[in-house]
Parts: sequence; C-alpha cells; structure tokens
Amino acid sequence: MRLEKCWFCSSTVYPGHGIQFVRNDAKVFRFCRSKCHKNFKMKRNPRKVKWTKAYRCLHGKDMTQDSTFEFERKRNRPERYDRNVTEQTLKAIPLITKIRHERQKKHITNRQKQGKTKERERDAKELEQDIQMLPKKDVMLSTQKTKVVVKVSQQQTEENLMEET
Amino acid sequence: MANRIQFENNCEIGVFSKLTNAYCLVAIGGSENFYSVFESELADVIPVVKTSIGGTRIIGRLCVGNKNGLLLPHTTTDQELQHLRNCLPDQVVVQRIDERLSALGNCIACNDHVALTHPDLDKATEELIADVLGVEVFRQTIAGNILVGSYCAFSNRGGLVHPHTSIEDLDELSTLLQVPLVAGTVNRGSEVIAAGMTVNDWTAFCGSDTTATELSVIESVFKLRESQPAAIVDDMRKSLIDSYV
Repeated sequence: MRLEKCWFCSSTVYPGHGIQFVRNDAKVFRFCRSKCHKNFKMKRNPRKVKWTKAYRCLHGKDMTQDSTFEFERKRNRPERYDRNVTEQTLKAIPLITKIRHERQKKHITNRQKQGKTKERERDAKELEQDIQMLPKKDVMLSTQKTKVVVKVSQQQTEENLMEET
Repeated sequence: MANRIQFENNCEIGVFSKLTNAYCLVAIGGSENFYSVFESELADVIPVVKTSIGGTRIIGRLCVGNKNGLLLPHTTTDQELQHLRNCLPDQVVVQRIDERLSALGNCIACNDHVALTHPDLDKATEELIADVLGVEVFRQTIAGNILVGSYCAFSNRGGLVHPHTSIEDLDELSTLLQVPLVAGTVNRGSEVIAAGMTVNDWTAFCGSDTTATELSVIESVFKLRESQPAAIVDDMRKSLIDSYV
C-alpha cells in the first residue's frame, strides 16, 4: 500500500479512493476524486486551474522548495532494516510534519505582509496628493494638530489653585 | 548438474525463479515443493529468497540480476523492495528503476560481465544497468526477436539461444559475450529458453518436460558435467597411473 499523489490537484490519494488511468505509453495518472478525473478528461492544464497545488506553487502562492520536502521523496535504493533507525524515523515524522506546516503558514503570512506595507504607502500618497478632496473643516483640524510644548512654572500653578479655592 | 522440476505443474521454471551466482529468488507457490528443490541444492551456498514482485509470481521475467546487483521494475512495492534488501547480501545492490518496458527479465539478459538488452531501452536505464550490475551493455536482437531476455540464457561459462539463430548471429554473439553459445531448445522444443530454464555457474534447473537430449546439450554447453567426480577421475587417471601391471 502506498499513499500516492493525485496527478491533477496533488492531494494524497488514500486506498479505496479515486481512479487510476493507464495511458498507452504506460504512463499512470492517479486521481483523488472524479472532479480531478473529469478535469483531466477535459484536457485542462492543472497549472492553469486556480485551486490546484501546481498552480499555487507555480505562482508563488505556496511554499515550493524546502528541506522538509526532501524527506518525502520516493527512494529506489532501499537500506537494510535497522530497528533503531526505524524507531528514530517514526519519532521524527510528526515533528517534521509540524515544522513543514509552520513553514508553509509563515510563507503565506510573509506573502500577505507585503500587502500591508503597500496599503500604507498608498494611504500616505493619498494624503499627500489628494488632500483637497477632503472638506476644509477636517483639513484644518488635521493640519493644525501639532504638538506644542508649554513650559509651566511651579509658581503659576500654585496661584491658579489658590484662585480656584 | 541440471535438475528437472515443476512449479505447480508448470514447466516454465525461468518464469517463477531467478538464479544467479550470489542469490536465488523463488516465487511464492501453493506448495513448498518448488522452493524445497532450490533449497536442497543451494541453501548452504547462496541465500534462497521467496518473494513476489508487484504482487505477482512471475518474478523471473520481471527482474534481472547478477552477483553484483538486482534490478526491479517500478511496479515493485516498497515492502517487497525492503524484503529483498533485507534478505540479500550487502554486496548485491538492489535498485528499482522507472522504465516503460517493465518486464526487465524479458528485455535484458546478463551474466557477471556482459549484458544484452532490448534495442528500445532508455539511455538512462542502460547507464543504470552498467552501474548497478557492473556489466558492459550491448543492444542486440536474437534471431530477429527484440526480447533478448527471453530467447537466450547465458552464464559465465556458456549460453543457450533461440533454435532459429543463424550461424553468423551465433558467432557474432559469441564474440560479444566471450562465451561458447549453442542454439537449442528446452521443455520439449520450447523456443523461449530463458522462460523454460534458469542457470548459474554450477547448477541449472529445467522444466520436467525437458528431454534427455536437451538436458545433455544444456549440461555440455554450461559445463555442468565437470562437477561430477567421475569426470575428474577419468582426466587424472592418465597422470596418476604410471603403468598397468
């Protein structure tokens, strides 16, 4: 049993799911569900279909190159079974998946952070250029709102207090 | 010395087993008879491993190997790959290859030094064969058939090819492989030599349909008869005995 990747959307195909198509040139196409299978039959290119992993990786939406992906590569030259190695691998697998998820989330937040700075720039530019669009009253308020530091001597405050009482 | 056996009443031994100088692979049969013959012959010399490839029993035609390595098709599952790696000695490199022609046993015939391959094999696969098996690779056909792995069987000491191979082809192949070759049949006239028998440097196993003539040809071309003590004594008698009283 092996968990394969769907050819169209790159999600995992679990046993008992999906369809496998073998073409005449002996290339095997695995699909996770009929949605992907039907898209394939319509000859759609997964790199142009927005919800697939192929599109997202191509357009830089999702993380592509990372050392955590190297752990999941298919290996054709096996190593002799070693109990300790297997134990360490089984312990390491949940750690690796956690780290990979964290890195993927980080990639997306970094991507969206750029949007925030761009918004700030746009607002600053609007303030600079389009300030005449705002009503005069609000403009006065905004321009006159400068901080003025007033030095108050000790004597004066005491006199005021005396006056009040 | 050649043995005659059957796999579940079928005489195509080369389909259900793979014999090399360093290991022997055997298919998982219903009864243990097939496995026990190999075991009785080879158990103390080389490891005899029961396996399947891609869930099938036709292992002899799907894989190819010699004492240096074993090549498996892409249909081999991860569990089978791991099983083979665990059972075979460390000097044997076990490798799975991605090749369109997945019946490697039908496409490639090899011994420890030379390999003959299907003319349409990928360049990458050819390089892998040279690397993993440590052999020199030649693209050839045998009697016009492209499936060289099925129509000839050769070891380091001799080879048997398709009966309709012309004498020129036979000479050409013989010079390429550097072993004596003979055109013959197995299993009462079956032309598919490698499917009907399996051979290494000191033993051979044929289907029980093989006639005595075919068996004697096999024993002479693969030089299996020399292992019998009687032959050695006959050769040495002249040098041992000075004169008869």
